Amino acid sequence: MAKHPDTDLVPYLRGELPPADRERVARHLEECPDCRQDTERLRDLLGQLSRSIGEPPGVNWAHYRAELRGKLEARRGQRVWWWRPAPLVLSASVAGALLLLVAVWSGRETLTGADPFTLEEASIGRQLGLLQEYQVVERLDLLEDLDLIRDLDGLASGLQS
Amino acid sequence: MAKRDEAAFDLLVARYQERAYRLAWSMLRNAEDARDLSQEAFIRLYEAAGSFRGRSKFSTWFYRILVNLCLDHKRKNRWWKLWVRDEGDDRTDPILERQPAPVIDPVDKLGRERTMKDLGAAVDRLAPRQRAAVLLRVQEDLATYEIAQVLKCSEATVRVHLHRALTTLKKTVEKR
Repeated sequence: MAKHPDTDLVPYLRGELPPADRERVARHLEECPDCRQDTERLRDLLGQLSRSIGEPPGVNWAHYRAELRGKLEARRGQRVWWWRPAPLVLSASVAGALLLLVAVWSGRETLTGADPFTLEEASIGRQLGLLQEYQVVERLDLLEDLDLIRDLDGLASGLQS
Repeated sequence: MAKRDEAAFDLLVARYQERAYRLAWSMLRNAEDARDLSQEAFIRLYEAAGSFRGRSKFSTWFYRILVNLCLDHKRKNRWWKLWVRDEGDDRTDPILERQPAPVIDPVDKLGRERTMKDLGAAVDRLAPRQRAAVLLRVQEDLATYEIAQVLKCSEATVRVHLHRALTTLKKTVEKR
């Protein structure tokens, strides 16, 4: 006897098999009482199954659709948030990174290995010519007399002497 | 739908909402999850409407989205659901009624109802893809080739899923 057509029985019952396969299964069922019995059981079982699955709890469909519409709108909002500012944020970040890179690159020769605050003060000091007269600068806090400040050069030479 | 016509979408929702919710509930046995996931399936459908090529029936395409969502959900919640199973599912019969029936049980209406309940519980215990195949066949009346499209597998695989599932279920019925 040919192999039992176990997996073909459901499609056979539903009438889905192509003619040649249907013929083959039908011939087998005529010869095989076990498969015939199986087929009958399957037929009953499929009928019982459709009744056994049951029905879900009821739903207010208008509310369901309103809820769905709300979720859809929220999803669209998320997409808009994600889609629109992203290029702006991205381009701003890239621009910022480029600026930082240029700044670091241009300042590299002068700033390398030094504390940026000290260098900044030194730069300002060089421009003002004050650090050369550091002792004078140190005493500026004590001097509130504008005349004295105005005459810094004289004060500096006095201190040196 | 390809043009995201709002009216067409509303019409589709109205047409498929009950089937979508029922199938999701049959797979998950939880009304809240079924509601959420069936709505999520509609949202995915809306978002992916442009990618529908018309190679399969629209309903098959929609079922695929929904069944995949349900299978993913089951996979993610497998351990948690096992832990809280008796609190989480929507079966209304108390746990005592889900125990095997007494040995001497007259074949009457009550007995038949109990068989139906046992059978329903046995469907719940099937492997997820087997259960999906059974539900698509029995509840949605899909042909084997359509189930294969939904589950993204061959027709031969669907036949094997169905055969194994029905063999298991047959044993449940014959035990009684």
